[in-house]
Amino acid sequence: MLRIRGGKVYDPANNIDGVVRDICIDGGRIVETVEGGRTIDATGMVIMPGGVDIHTHVAGAALNFARAMTPENQRQATPFLRGPEQRAGIGGPTPTTFATGYLYAGMGYTTVIEAAVPVLSAKHTHEELRDTPIVDKGCCLLMANNEVVLDLLEAGEFERAKDVVAWLICAAKSYGVKAVNPGGVTAWKWGGNASQMSEPVLGYSKVTPNVIVSALAQIVDSLGLPHPLHLHCNNLGVPGNVTTTLETMKALEGNRAHMAHLQFHAYGGSDWHEMRSEAATIAEYFNAHPNLTADAGAVLFGNSVTITADGPWQHLLYQLTGRKWGNLDVENETGCGIVPYTYKGSNVVNAVQWAVGLELLLLIDDPWRIFLTTDHPNGACFWRYPEIIHLLMNADFRRERAKALPAKAQSRIVLPDLNREYTLSEIAIITSAGPARALGLSQKGHLGVGADADIAIYNENPDGVLMFRYPRYVIKEGEIAVEEGQIRSVSAGREFIVQPGYDPTVEDFLRPLFQQHYTMSFDNYPVEMHRLERAEVRDCQGAAT
Amino acid sequence: MGGKVSCTLGEVKNRADFVLYWGGNPAECHPRHFTKYALMPKGKYLPLGRKSRTMVLVDIRETMSARAADIFLQVRPGKDFEVLTALRAIVKGQRVDAEKVAETGLTVEVLQDLSDRMKAARFGVIFFGMGLSMTRGKHMNSASVLTLAAEMNAFTKFVAMPMRGHGNVAGSDMVLRWTTGYPFGINLCRGYPRFNPGEFSTVDLLVRGDIDAALILGADPGATMPQPGIDHLARIPTIVLDPKVTHTSRLARVHITTAVTGISAPGTAYRMDEVPLPLRPALTSPYPTDEDVVRRIHQALAARSVWTTPSSRTVLATA
Repeated sequence: MLRIRGGKVYDPANNIDGVVRDICIDGGRIVETVEGGRTIDATGMVIMPGGVDIHTHVAGAALNFARAMTPENQRQATPFLRGPEQRAGIGGPTPTTFATGYLYAGMGYTTVIEAAVPVLSAKHTHEELRDTPIVDKGCCLLMANNEVVLDLLEAGEFERAKDVVAWLICAAKSYGVKAVNPGGVTAWKWGGNASQMSEPVLGYSKVTPNVIVSALAQIVDSLGLPHPLHLHCNNLGVPGNVTTTLETMKALEGNRAHMAHLQFHAYGGSDWHEMRSEAATIAEYFNAHPNLTADAGAVLFGNSVTITADGPWQHLLYQLTGRKWGNLDVENETGCGIVPYTYKGSNVVNAVQWAVGLELLLLIDDPWRIFLTTDHPNGACFWRYPEIIHLLMNADFRRERAKALPAKAQSRIVLPDLNREYTLSEIAIITSAGPARALGLSQKGHLGVGADADIAIYNENPDGVLMFRYPRYVIKEGEIAVEEGQIRSVSAGREFIVQPGYDPTVEDFLRPLFQQHYTMSFDNYPVEMHRLERAEVRDCQGAAT
Repeated sequence: MGGKVSCTLGEVKNRADFVLYWGGNPAECHPRHFTKYALMPKGKYLPLGRKSRTMVLVDIRETMSARAADIFLQVRPGKDFEVLTALRAIVKGQRVDAEKVAETGLTVEVLQDLSDRMKAARFGVIFFGMGLSMTRGKHMNSASVLTLAAEMNAFTKFVAMPMRGHGNVAGSDMVLRWTTGYPFGINLCRGYPRFNPGEFSTVDLLVRGDIDAALILGADPGATMPQPGIDHLARIPTIVLDPKVTHTSRLARVHITTAVTGISAPGTAYRMDEVPLPLRPALTSPYPTDEDVVRRIHQALAARSVWTTPSSRTVLATA
């Protein structure tokens, strides 16, 4: 039992905006009132629901590949010393799993979604998630380049494709469906890409990126998954990709969809020398289409590692930078690429990217539909979110920072003209309440009675970085997990999964195909339930949007 | 240089019409590799199986694997790096010195032909073995062959993969990466992981005599380490967990017999392409599993000592 007394509560899902009130906790959930137990005096402090990261890369074969590829980053990173409650580890752009849990919780985040999992190595992802303490988690399954699904779409067998998708979700124990560069990664298996939305994908005659996107969005909606199709569009990072992004969003009309790391998909200009921000164009369309949500995928200057299932883009990035390149094509399903990258304030392209992320967050009117992410570690590390919060809350600081950008970059962005400043309530929406709603996690992102007692308590400070980087207390399921940067108690987080229904005869269809095209036996393919710790099956009734 | 351009073995089975083995002898060391993945199976895009593929073997001697090859290229021992460097230059259309190439045992014409065939492939794969990665040049040879594969992608689809062995070595790599950030050669003396191959790798620690106790799992260093390292293992308290009597168990103070993972104990093994496979036991065993023994040792230690500062003398090093 725990009572938090006297704090200023920001709980936008329940229309509570900076009201001083007590929060009571019992049995890991928020209750009306408690008698006895510990009381935390939060007078003068700010209370928000624990953060929810809707798109991050913290576990799985790709991230583990990146860890091995970049020991130079690990050597520079913050070490985590072994302690009574703490396992040893390393921070940096690709933290170890234990450090990931401590870093997220230490920042007030209590739920994270690993955004890209192939079925073939899903066992591995779950092992890593199991070793990621404190935070609750879930993962999205890579589907837009799955050749079984694509072959069925080519043959016009939509219903069977739907059963296959449902079967795969159940087999991989995932929470949602992710689409990465639809058709492009399949083409990459032959060294190609898919850059035109309405042209057939290499190896197919009818299947185009548009077909894949709209079919998957329909499948996800008709299966009633709580989280809509989680989409990484074609032509990520390419100048002029705004047309592709608009075309994709048009193909999604009538269905729900979540546009991942939208910053990387909002560029104009025809080449790298002319690249400019098209955030305003994207925001205009987006504002008028309530079927869509998005996360920012914002960029901050500094060292990072790019990790994505988008294999062809990573080959291009390797050719552009001449740095290390990791690639892992996953049979019949997807790919993965890794290239270390440094975003420099003096580089015009990087400067535009920095501005675009912030512009999208400021130009999209409804904070319930745009969420704070950096596509960790692609745009920046997740533990740098407070720097973005400070930029969003302070227009003068933003303009001052924009002045330091190269003159050429300044002429291609609109950021200095934007006067909007985020309120604390809006920060609570884009970091917690909004993503929780988009994920269909009804007990997350708010502080109403019955919600999970995942709470962040901050010392109020005009400097957003200081305020949000070091919460005074972080409470997970009613227990104080972090107190002034010290880990106090380490619990195992839950893992959210869904189990949509499917026609059981789909296994008779899959089994022979599988024995033919895969190198693993069909019975070894699904993830066994015992690999998950505290699995919680969520209903498939769609999300209340 | 750096990185790795690779794929899972199913991609090789379904697509690779050009297979190059370098410094490895799969016919004897990975006997199922040809038949399950790389040469014989009919793939989704290789309907004729073996007939759809070209196989080239590069090695210093004509091994059993040479019989399966369409082309065998014999390199002089210790000249792999030179051959790879010349080949990378030829692939890019640069001039190479014929005399220097001749010193490797091959000719410019042979390398030009190899380069042409690689570029003509639709999907090429290079498998490299310890004959490349552990001979003169060592990690520079690996870096060179990986860079060749990366650079080939400017012309056609190409990947490379090390031929790994020794049981579940890939699994050990994977777990250490997510728990410590590094794959091997890790030192936890300061309370957090540090990585320095050559300093903290098992062989170096043993040869220098830096270790005062050893716990050995799933390995037989007594059979493979240099003699000074083996001598040191015999000097210190060495504990071996192994289902069988091994060279190492013979010199250890303690040998705990454990159940064989995959036969009488469950678990997970990672394939050389880092795909996890569940292991289901077919038999029961009177012996405890490795996991059980380590867990019980850990519990006993935790019960005995309070947590100490990072200066604790625990050393975890892995090969």
